[in-house]
This record gives sequence, C-alpha cells and structure tokens, in this order.
Amino acid sequence: MSLLDLHDVHTFIGKFHILEGVSVEVPQGSVVALLGRNGAGKTTTLKTILGLTPASSGRVVFDGDDIVEMRSFDIAAMGIGYVPEHRAIFADLSVEENLRIAERRKGDLERREELIFGLFPDLKRLIGLPGTSLSGGQQQMLAVARALVPENRLLLIDEPSEGLAPVLIEQMIEAIARLSDTTTVLLVEQNFLVASRLGTTYVIIEEGRSVKTGDMTDLVDDDETIQRYLGV
Amino acid sequence: MADTKQIDQIESPGPSRNRRIADAIKRNRARATVLGVLAVLFLAAMAGIEADQWFGTIMKALAAGSVIFLVASGFQLIFGLMDVLNLAHGELFMLGAYVGWTVYTRFDTFLDVLVPMLLVAAPFALLPLWRRLGARVAALARWARSAAWGLIVLGGGLMLLSITKFPLVIWNAEDFAKTPANYSVQIDLGTLVPLPEDVFGWPMAVAIVVLLAGASALALGLSSLRKHAGAVPPLGRWNLIGAAGLIVASVALHLVRGPLNDWVFGMSTTWRFFIALIVASLLGAGLGALIEVVLIRPLYDRPIYTLMVTLGVGFVIIETVKELWGSSNFTMARPAAFNGSGEGCPAEGIGGFFSGCSTLVVFGSRLRVYNEGFVVVIGILVLIGVSLLLKRTRIGMTIRAGVQDPEMVEALGINVRRVFTMVFALGAGLAAFGGVLAAPSIGLYTEMGALFLLTAIVALAIGGLTSFPGVAAGALLIGLLQQIIIRFGQTGIHIPFVAEPFKPSPTLVPAASIILMIVILLVLPAGLFGRGER
Ligand SMILES: Nc1ncnc2c1ncn2[C@@H]1O[C@H](COP(=O)(O)OP(=O)(O)OP(=O)(O)O)[C@@H](O)[C@H]1O
Ligand SMILES: [Mg+2]
Repeated sequence: MSLLDLHDVHTFIGKFHILEGVSVEVPQGSVVALLGRNGAGKTTTLKTILGLTPASSGRVVFDGDDIVEMRSFDIAAMGIGYVPEHRAIFADLSVEENLRIAERRKGDLERREELIFGLFPDLKRLIGLPGTSLSGGQQQMLAVARALVPENRLLLIDEPSEGLAPVLIEQMIEAIARLSDTTTVLLVEQNFLVASRLGTTYVIIEEGRSVKTGDMTDLVDDDETIQRYLGV
Repeated sequence: MADTKQIDQIESPGPSRNRRIADAIKRNRARATVLGVLAVLFLAAMAGIEADQWFGTIMKALAAGSVIFLVASGFQLIFGLMDVLNLAHGELFMLGAYVGWTVYTRFDTFLDVLVPMLLVAAPFALLPLWRRLGARVAALARWARSAAWGLIVLGGGLMLLSITKFPLVIWNAEDFAKTPANYSVQIDLGTLVPLPEDVFGWPMAVAIVVLLAGASALALGLSSLRKHAGAVPPLGRWNLIGAAGLIVASVALHLVRGPLNDWVFGMSTTWRFFIALIVASLLGAGLGALIEVVLIRPLYDRPIYTLMVTLGVGFVIIETVKELWGSSNFTMARPAAFNGSGEGCPAEGIGGFFSGCSTLVVFGSRLRVYNEGFVVVIGILVLIGVSLLLKRTRIGMTIRAGVQDPEMVEALGINVRRVFTMVFALGAGLAAFGGVLAAPSIGLYTEMGALFLLTAIVALAIGGLTSFPGVAAGALLIGLLQQIIIRFGQTGIHIPFVAEPFKPSPTLVPAASIILMIVILLVLPAGLFGRGER
C-alpha cells in the first residue's frame, strides 16, 4: 500500500485554479521525484498535501487516512516533514533553536543528533549562530536537518539543490540518498541530474495536471519525454 | 566576541556584504548621534535642577516610565508579533485597575461574582462533548452558521437573564451613599463594609440550572463555529470531574462567602493587593484570549477592521465600567506594607522602609516607597521576565518564529493560532496587571486607559515598534521628559534677556513628548532601537 496517495486533486489559490487534477502515488520506502517546468504546480502540490493550500476536491490519503479536511499542524504531526522552497530558516532563531523548534517531543533533537550531524557535520560547528548568518548552502542543510528532528515517516523536499554550488549539490544528494534508506521521500527537483540520481519513480506535472508517471530508469533513456515536458 | 570570529569564516550570504556593513555603520551613526544629543540634553536639564533633587527626579521618571512601560509592553507584543493594533489595550489597563480595586476593596463583591463565574466555566470543562456535538451542527451545511450564532445568542441571553437573579452587590442608585470613593476611605480606615443581604431573584436551584444551560448553549455554539473538527479527544473522566468540581466549588463558595470574606478582610491589605494583582491579570488575559478568538481571528487579513473592532471593544469596556462602578473617580489605598507612617517618618535613607515608613528621604529627595520604589522594581522585573520568556522558553521561540513565518511553523506541526492567542492573552494580562499596579499611585478614572495608551504609543514610536527593549527605553525617555518639565515648572528656566523665568506647565507634557517623538522619527524613522520596516 502507498504511504501517500493523491487522487485527482484540485486546488484554488484565491480564485486561481492552480491544480487541475494531480494524482501522485508515493509507495512506502520510495523516492518519488515530482518534475515539471517553472510554475507547473509542484510547490503547490506539496503545500496541498500539508493543507497549507487545501485541496478543494480530490483525495489526499496518508497512511490510510484522508487528510484533506485536517488542519496543517495536525497533518504535519502525523509524521510529515517539510523542506520548503527557499529554505524558510527562522531569522530570529539560532541554528540550534531552528532545530529545536521542530521537536514534537522533548529531547527529539538529542535522540536524532547522531543522524543529523552525521549527514551534516558542518551544522554542529555552527550551532550557536543566528540562523541567517549561515550561507545559502548551510541554510539548505539546516532546512533538511530541521525536517529530520522528529521521526517523520514522509519528507516533502522542495528543490534542495536550488542555488547550491556543485560541491554542495553532491553533498546534498549524498545526504538525501542516505536518509531515504529509512524514510519515504517526495522530492521536487528542477535539476534533472539530481532528480534522476535520487528518484525511484517520477511524476511529471504540467499546468497543474499530472501528465506522466513511471520508473525513473525508464525516463532517463526517454529523451523525447524529457524534451517535451522538461526541456527549455 | 567569539561569535564574530566564527561569522567571518562563513562565506557571506550575498555580494552586497560591504554595502550592508556600510549601511549598518551609517544607521548606527545616526542612532549614536541621537543618543548623544539626548544625553547632552539630559545633563543640561540636570544642571538646571538642584543637586538634592536629582535622585528624586530620576526615580519619579523611572516610576512614570514603569507604568507607561507596562501599558506599552503588552501593546508592543501584540503589535510586534501579530501586526494587530489593539486599540482596546488602554481600556484593558483601566479595567484591570477597576477589577483590582474591587478585589482589594470589596472582596465580598469579588466572591459574589465568582459564584456565577465558576458555574459559567463548568460546561466549558466538557469541551470534547461540545466539539463532537458541534461537528453535528456544522454538518447542517447551509444552516450551520445561523445555528451556531443562534446558540451563542441564546446562551448569552440565558446567562444574562439568570446572572441578574444572583445576589450580586454591584453598585446601584440606592447604594449611592456608599460610592466606591466611600469604600476606599473605609478600607483605608480598616473598617469592614457590612455585607448586604443575599437574596436570589429566583429559587437558587433554578438560577443555577438556567445559568448552566446558558453556558452550555454558548459552549456548543462556539464549538460549532469551527471549520475543521480535527482530532477530538474523548470525553475523559477528568472532564466530568472538572465540571462537577466547578459546580460544587461554586455552591460551596456561596455558602461560605460570609466567613471567607471576614477571614480575608482580617488579612493584611498587602496580601489582598497581591490577590487583586493575580485576579485582575488572569481576568485580563482571559478577556484578551476571548477577544482574539472571537473578534480578531476572523479579521487577520483586514487590519482596518481589527482597528475598528478593538476601538469598539474599548468603548464597550468604558461604558460597562461606568455602568457597574459609577463614573466617579476614586482612589485605591496603598497596601499596608507601603502605607506606614508615624514616629520618625519620613525616615532618612532606604533602611527607613524596614522600620515601617512609606515615605523616605534619599539623597535629599522625598520619595514614596510605593510610587517610586515598588512600581519601578516591578516594571524592571516585568521587563526581565518577558525578555526571558521570549528568549529562553519554547513558547518564546515559537512566538519569534511564528512572527516571521507562521506557515512554516504550522508545517512543523505547531498550532500557530493557539500561540497567537497566548500572545494576546499575555499582552492583555500585562495591561490589566499594570492597571492594578498603577491604581494606588494614579487613582482610578475611566479615561485613564485612553490617556496612558496614547502616551504608550508615543513611547513605542520613540523606542522602535519592533523592539521589546526599545519599549522600555521609550517609556523611560517619556518619564524623564515629564518629570523634568514638572520640575522646571516649579523652579522656572532662566532665559537670557527675559526678566521672568519661563515656567512650563505640566499640561505641556503631551505636546513635548509628541515633539520629541517627531524629532526622533525624522532622524531615525524606525525609532531608537527599531529594525526598520518589515
Ligand atoms: N499565491 C498565489 N497567487 C496566485 N497564483 C499563484 C500563487 N502561488 C502560486 N501561484 C501560481 O501557481 C502556479 C504554480 O505555482 P508553483 O509554485 O506550485 O509552481 P512550481 O512548479 O513550484 O514552480 P517553480 O519551479 O518555479 O518553483 C504558478 O503559475 C504560480 O504563478
Ligand atoms: Mg516551486
């Protein structure tokens, strides 16, 4: 059974009809890459799952429960971690507080310390600094680390490689690959090289609709599809 | 300092780093200049005041600043964190003073009112039940909202009807001979106000049942307004015990209120003063939370409407206070610990307080321990306490994060709205607390809210709307300005070539503070410690 299942989801932002039928299946233990051009509706799909931009129709089923009607914080508390586009690090909080705030139970950070600092050793040294004194790359790592503080069953990661130097991209791929051993991931990624290395399956979104889905290994060789939906 | 070193090792987040540093220097140069000019003006003013008045002037300024700070701090928390200008804030301050006065001076009335209040609270202990039933009401679709509001109105009506049948001593025309001013005098003399007879307008059981029914309808109506039911916890044993406990407590309180009142009256007024502080703060906080949930929450996207609504709430509070307490101005006696006098008073030095003097002469200035000592100490404690709350606790951390990015905080699984309700409750609680604290030194009058809120807003603008420590700085500055003007009003300023010394009257204070504000804002648009527009 899938951990997360979106079926024909429609979402309005204000009076704009942004998602016009998105279906995504995220099997337990997989890494699903959500692909599509700028403005296709990838970020909106993640926000719809979290109820930040609630679906107006369709089904969003997480672990057997329909979560469309639920409030965002209740959805997140079911075990969904979110790494938003543009990182959203809290400026008034130190690096440690940025992690601490994600705790759902007291001591989460201590319990997961080994995993987090194993993936991102740099953060350990920066722990006392204000969140925004970090570089872009470090902020991105902090954003991923924050989603790892509670034991989440699903991670929604939005463009983790955006704006990173090649070395850092490599480090980020490494980290996501390692954490996907234990956690299911729904990944939005514009950089196809990154997406193809991490994803097990893919879903292509175009103009608010999911138009194609399949195994990542097939997509890599399918130049026509890549050109048609993802090429510039 | 160790931190700066580390920052240097980190690659800078943008190309404009040099520029940002240049900007920072420029901004701080303006700030340093303003602070320097203020310091020079302060020294010049002090030079014009006799040395033996220095300490007194500064302490009085701190005292005035402390009260302004207590009003401004709550207002700033609510504005700085939620972008809501709560124009009812001054009235919450005023209401706090009146409620505090009542608990302090007429403890029997407080007990009278507490009896129905406990009954009203009882049904709310069964919240899971109302939420489950509320989900049914919400399922009525088109009629859901009307049904919910119908229940709220019905509940409110029933409650109002039955509360008037409870034996409440709220001042009415017949009682005119015993106005609040009169009670104040009696308390000061230490005489017990005779308890009026308590007669229920209806049989006691009927009044209680109708009140419970009304509160239940209100609770159900409020629960059915929720859009998403979410996960409703089951109705546990503790809910039932809570509700039953409140009802029993209410009836028991009614039965023992006579002896209880005598007992409390026998205590030192200092204790009663602390009870008054706590009761008024809790009531203020509760009222703040209620205002946020019912009136502000639906209007977050429409700041002008929140402005109007809070303004309206302010007027409602003023009229309610006038109706219940009468519009007369009255005073509140200082608690016993600060009311000592007699042989050897006013004593020389601070130690005199411990030999029971309420007025001391320190460094040549005559000071009242309550007004210029206690109020200042409490103001400083509140400043430290709230700063620690924001800096060191999880709730403070959540508040700081929630201000910047509520959506992200929610995505972490935190109920941001509840956090905001708590901020509102904290701000309103601080206002009410300030009201009680200020009442013995400034007295009670219904316009005190508007007056102090205005001063507080000026202090806020000077200190910087976005900065909590800035509030304290702004309040202190206004306090200093006020005291210096008052002092020069007595001694006069010798202006060259003018024969008569110029004696500024205290009525110049508001104008002078506004001029100070304008000058500071022209140089530093974000105020002394503000961080610029967000
Ligand atoms: N608040 C909003 N109001 C109106 N339209 C919006 C809003 N947010 C997003 N949109 C529109 O919805 C569409 C989908 O946006 P979304 O951010 O989901 O795209 P995306 O696939 O994540 O794009 P990108 O790759 O640029 O991040 C875009 O056309 C965008 O302009
Ligand atoms: Mg996006």
